[in-house]
Amino acid sequence: MSNSHLFMKSGFVRAPLQNGVGRYVPQLQRIVLKFCKTHGGSRGIRDFIEQDLVEFAKQNPSVVVYLKPRRHRSPVAVAEYLNGDRVWMSLHQKSHSEITKWIEVLRTQQGDVSATRLRKYQFTDHPSIQGPWTPFTFKDPELNVAQLPDPKFGANDRLPMTATDKLRIMFEKQKISEDNVKTGE
Amino acid sequence: MVFLTIANLIRCRGPDEFWRKRKIFRLAAHYIGRRRNCYSVAVRNVHHALVYATKARRLKKQDMKDLWDTRISAACEQHNITAFSMREGLERSNILLDRKSLSDLAAWEPKTFQCLAAVASRKLHLDGFIDGTDQKAPTGKNLNLDNVILDDWLKEKK
Repeated sequence: MSNSHLFMKSGFVRAPLQNGVGRYVPQLQRIVLKFCKTHGGSRGIRDFIEQDLVEFAKQNPSVVVYLKPRRHRSPVAVAEYLNGDRVWMSLHQKSHSEITKWIEVLRTQQGDVSATRLRKYQFTDHPSIQGPWTPFTFKDPELNVAQLPDPKFGANDRLPMTATDKLRIMFEKQKISEDNVKTGE
Repeated sequence: MVFLTIANLIRCRGPDEFWRKRKIFRLAAHYIGRRRNCYSVAVRNVHHALVYATKARRLKKQDMKDLWDTRISAACEQHNITAFSMREGLERSNILLDRKSLSDLAAWEPKTFQCLAAVASRKLHLDGFIDGTDQKAPTGKNLNLDNVILDDWLKEKK
């Protein structure tokens, strides 16, 4: 199957606006945590809110944190990014430590990375240091000033192997070199 | 007990026929004509597409390998060494570059590839390996490999 049927966009490994080269701008804009105050599936998120949320908010002043306590609703985190992506993640029945790790994932990604199919796993602005190969890379520079047709440049260097050469190679191959001879010593 | 509703169920089809068919139609959304609108036509084409996708995973790897081989042998031809000799020489010198790396070097770093070809031919020359097809001297004889302590390094046991 080709790319045409995929509803997933394809892209390369890029950082938005050369993020990190100069200053690093956290790409997470806001995070909304919806949870239930009583249901058991929200236990992990409740522990996170009680223990780690204030720390998180202090360390990430650029991220706006919203809390939505809703009765009889399963816990959910919705993260919105500077490029407009919206990532919905269910936190139902997740433990406190798992939620901490997933929040860290949401904080450090630059958008919905699971929605992009990477065409290549590497990216570079400078794929070549020596200069890419051209048909003139290994040609004699004298060609530039030569008057064509020229007998030197027009000579045929693609002749097939002559019989003499074949015999010579056969002779070389059957020669016994000193390394191959096993002596009694 | 009397089950009266069973008589009503005789004529209704399964409850999730719509979603079963929707799974197929989603995969056929970019087809043309009846292939994307009629289920019995679509399901055949979708099944074929899935089979081709399965088989193509192996073919893609083979195609990439062939492409790399073509590029490496083209670059080797320019440096007057065969791809076989190049491979043999690099393996004996313990330079274990795969086809992908070699083809990338040949395309983007041509001078490096020239040096690798020279190293491979030098190693084969030191080993007394004779390939029946190489006739001409390797290019890069003005590379001055003697300045690099190449022969000692190549003569070490690999």
